[in-house]
Amino acid sequence: MTEWVKRVLITGMGSELGSHVASRLEAEPWVGAITGIDVDPPRRRLRRATFHRIEPLDRRRTLELITRADPHVLVHAAVWEPNARADPATAERWTAAAAVNMLGAAVECRSLEGIVARSGITVYGRGRGDPSRPDEAVPPAPTTPFGHSLLHVERTAVEAGATAGVPVAIVRVAPVLGPHVPSPLGRMLRLPAVPMSLLADPSFSVLGHEDAARAIVAAAHRLPDGPVNVVADGAVTISQAARLGSRWPLPLIGPEWPVARLLAAGLGSPIPPHVLEIVHRGRTADGSRAAEVLGVAPQRTTVHVIQALYEWATVLHLRPTEAAA
Amino acid sequence: MNALAVARRQLAGTHVVDEWGLDPDWVSLASSAAGLRWSLAVGGGEHLPSRGPTLVVVNNRPLAASLAVALIGIRRETGRVLRIVGIPDVAPIGPVLRRLGGVLHHPQEVAGLLRAGQVPAIPCRAEWRLNGRVGRVDAELVGAAIRTSAPVIPVAVLASPWGRHARVEIGPAVRAKRRRGPLATAELADAARAAVQRLVDEATPPGARWLV
Repeated sequence: MTEWVKRVLITGMGSELGSHVASRLEAEPWVGAITGIDVDPPRRRLRRATFHRIEPLDRRRTLELITRADPHVLVHAAVWEPNARADPATAERWTAAAAVNMLGAAVECRSLEGIVARSGITVYGRGRGDPSRPDEAVPPAPTTPFGHSLLHVERTAVEAGATAGVPVAIVRVAPVLGPHVPSPLGRMLRLPAVPMSLLADPSFSVLGHEDAARAIVAAAHRLPDGPVNVVADGAVTISQAARLGSRWPLPLIGPEWPVARLLAAGLGSPIPPHVLEIVHRGRTADGSRAAEVLGVAPQRTTVHVIQALYEWATVLHLRPTEAAA
Repeated sequence: MNALAVARRQLAGTHVVDEWGLDPDWVSLASSAAGLRWSLAVGGGEHLPSRGPTLVVVNNRPLAASLAVALIGIRRETGRVLRIVGIPDVAPIGPVLRRLGGVLHHPQEVAGLLRAGQVPAIPCRAEWRLNGRVGRVDAELVGAAIRTSAPVIPVAVLASPWGRHARVEIGPAVRAKRRRGPLATAELADAARAAVQRLVDEATPPGARWLV
């Protein structure tokens, strides 16, 4: 059966995840024109996609571009994790503005058939007594500023979808890690001594950036309506992750945490509240529906993703074979 | 169990911890230590499925550590690790109990474990009086078994706070009347409680109600 070739617009194309999604969409037979927006340029070479550098706060240009592109599918990956690509205040402002401006503009597109919104399992929060491995039926109850940002994105996407009368796939990914992914959790785990809670050291799950991109592309193709968790199998604890990377876990009890956070920030690895929550309360979710809803399941386990985080390509120093002319 | 191998795994970070916090190494160590405290006899091991989601309902005598006895006895007999439902969500006791397989008292926790093919164990309400009566079962937690079509297995523990001998009796799957909606969970909870009570009554030696 021949499928219609569809126009796809990717917001947040300059992020590692957005760039990966664009790269994968370029190889999909059902995808025609690909347009991207972000404040940063894509992090990998794209052959077919067209990129537009637009500030998230620039509503006029955003509306103009999105209505001109008139996408069939809008992939909204314009989510700034605090201390990943932007400081917490900027990340919160940009995420909120991008959700309203970009998803709002999508409603104006006549050809729109569906929206895919990148969210995260941080949206579930981790209050006392809350289930430790929530599924999609658990109502979001964020307990950190990043969780609230994600909930705002989800609500805006649902509102936009309802207004346009199209399905909205909300892809709630576990913390996305990879050797080159800007992530406060990844940076903290790569410190020489990794701060951990001596009293808790709970387990958490992550997701490889390639699996996250694969899930978003599958969602763009299938356009399911509603949330779906995408989480790598298995879990690790902070101390375990540190040892897997031959780092030393630094057990802390409580009062010394502010000092540890200051020191970590000084070493280029600030620890925002949602990462601190992972350290103290853990974070996992039930991702068993992903395979059924999206038709793809993460290929790398949490342990494999953590191991890959510590793997760096070996640098080969080549000797010149002949003198330069 | 090789304690040196466990220590090596823990130091290298190559041990396994699941999404709820269970560490099989910790369970092995606890089981070995429990062997010094209790002399366990387990009956009816054939009633517990060797794999797949299974909900266990067990009587609860806190002073006799009946849940710990059930956990260790069933692991020794069948190799399956009970996930005791109802641990506190407070550090440091909560995280330690998680390592030993504990989970929170929440229907989502029970449903998630069943979907993952595990064996959550719901304790009956704690009974502090030595009258041999089994406490009621939380119907909301049992409801997860209906949604996942998991069998409900009653387990009775006979132990005392000071004695060395303890007995774990596993019964056949509970059969409740076929109902729909809220009545189905309520009837299944009642049937599970009755099955645990029956096991307790059958296994208790005459004149030894203080054991349960």
